[in-house]
Amino acid sequence: MRNRTAKIVTIYLLTIFFLLFLNFLLPRLLPGDVILAMYSGYEVTITDELYNELVQLHGLNKPLHVQFFIYLVQLAHGNLGYSHICHAPTTTLIMDALPWTMLLVCTSFILSAIIGMVLGVESSWVRGKRTDQSLLVSMLVVDGIPSLAVGILFLTIFSLYGGWFPTSGAMTPYSNLAGIAHIKDILWHLILPLTTLTLSQIPGDYLLIRNSMILTIREPYVLTARAKGIKERKIKYFHAARNAILPFFTRIGIRLAYVITGVLFIETIFAYPGLGLLTYNAISNRDLPLLQGILTVSVLLVLLINIVVDLLYKKIDPRVEYAY
Amino acid sequence: MHIRPFREFKRNRIGVTGLVMFLLLSTTAILAPLIAPHDPWDYSDRSFQPPSMNHLLGTNDIGYDIFSELLWALRTSVFFGVSVAAIACTIGLILGVSAALVGGLYDLVVMRIVDALLAIPSILVLILIAAYFRPSTMILVVTLSLIIWQTIARGVRAQTLSLKTKPHIKAARNMGASTVYIMRKHILPELFPLCAMGFVTKARIAVFMEAGLSFLGIFDPTTKSLGIMMSYAMRYLYLDVWFNWLLPAVLSLSMLIVSLALISYAIEEIFDPRLKGGNNAATV
Repeated sequence: MRNRTAKIVTIYLLTIFFLLFLNFLLPRLLPGDVILAMYSGYEVTITDELYNELVQLHGLNKPLHVQFFIYLVQLAHGNLGYSHICHAPTTTLIMDALPWTMLLVCTSFILSAIIGMVLGVESSWVRGKRTDQSLLVSMLVVDGIPSLAVGILFLTIFSLYGGWFPTSGAMTPYSNLAGIAHIKDILWHLILPLTTLTLSQIPGDYLLIRNSMILTIREPYVLTARAKGIKERKIKYFHAARNAILPFFTRIGIRLAYVITGVLFIETIFAYPGLGLLTYNAISNRDLPLLQGILTVSVLLVLLINIVVDLLYKKIDPRVEYAY
Repeated sequence: MHIRPFREFKRNRIGVTGLVMFLLLSTTAILAPLIAPHDPWDYSDRSFQPPSMNHLLGTNDIGYDIFSELLWALRTSVFFGVSVAAIACTIGLILGVSAALVGGLYDLVVMRIVDALLAIPSILVLILIAAYFRPSTMILVVTLSLIIWQTIARGVRAQTLSLKTKPHIKAARNMGASTVYIMRKHILPELFPLCAMGFVTKARIAVFMEAGLSFLGIFDPTTKSLGIMMSYAMRYLYLDVWFNWLLPAVLSLSMLIVSLALISYAIEEIFDPRLKGGNNAATV
């Protein structure tokens, strides 16, 4: 148990070190001026006054270790820098965008998990039959089509030509809707990005559960359950699937990186005001402090979710306690 | 190993379909300079021409021939995918095998780096680096390889560790075989499926990343890219260019990635024989 804790702590420390390297050291390692490298966006003129202010802020006239200390203190205060292009603190910008991304990611995560699991379980149960084979092939094809392409096609067909869904935003601006109408409006804007993100995740869940089910089905306890005359559906979901979904939980951490990539493109395509669109805008404006802030927040979020998953996993599969 | 990978692959319909698709697309991509009817950087033609015999897919906003552009963009995708996959596989293979064989502190360090890299969203790292350096294609290839080798190293290490204790390796060692001989004759051949799998998976990630990053506008703007084509086509959608400009780019990208997905599934099925066939053995 102590070994395991040590291992996890090392991983987190290394990750944070890597993050600090990217955010702190990289701009300072670049040839040329740090301030100009970090702040020269397309719409910012760096006056002498601003330049001096930034030098003071980052302590650039002091030695490197003092600069690092200043950086850490600001980080600890939740101060991720100031975006001179948006004229707002980076933290505020990120916190405004985060809820929308969370809404999108969490909903699609749950939806795709349920759909992928049910399809995977059913497919593995009739393995080798026509239903299974056609489901498998179509899932592989859906898996291959990148979310970027799906998003673009959905936007073109359903929003631009069909006109059934909004083309951008998370709610209708200036509509002053309240109550149920407001929620309906938000859902209305959510549908296309959500469908795209969910579609991009279902095949992964499906393949994982299908393969894991195939191995579980041949366990003796499934045969025993069958011999006892337990109903087919009950064996499928309560005996076999109960154990077959374990790999799903171990892979949540790895899957997160995949989801972040998906969200970035999907939000950009549908102009959905979350972290992805914020990243896109930061890229287009060359707003590096904002990009750094987004990277910091996402890495910290991924680490946090990993801790939660780790704790949960012990509850779901008590065997891991003994494995270390 | 009593699996004959090539014979098995030939029988696997999903795999063959994927491979044929991939070979067709990459041959087209390699031959792009010969096949392309126009110079893709020649903007002397009228812009927004509809498809015709001269311009199979018409011309774009500044008069580039879209069909030629598509071929060259496909070339970038294939080149990017294959080279990233090759570099990432090499790094993963070397670090994985050496970690398993050397062990000790070295093993610990390599594995912790692997775990840390798994927790970091590679796309954001790539975006940040690209935004700072505005690097050329080659540097992006190397950077991406440097942050996605981790899963290969992990798999290779686990496999090597389990091979190390197998009787036939011990027997070879007892008969005086050198480490290099054992590596070459016993360990590397058994690592082939893992590497093949890793290669295809990484190629897929790389193709997607290249298109994605250029769609976001942080890729070398002088190269032809499916992502750049898509992002420009999106801007002129109101001119009804989606069927001759947007759709071909989207379809080519999808077909390339679908082909890789099919191949990777087939490889997985071949090397994990438990996944093959029906449920009869278990359900009767």
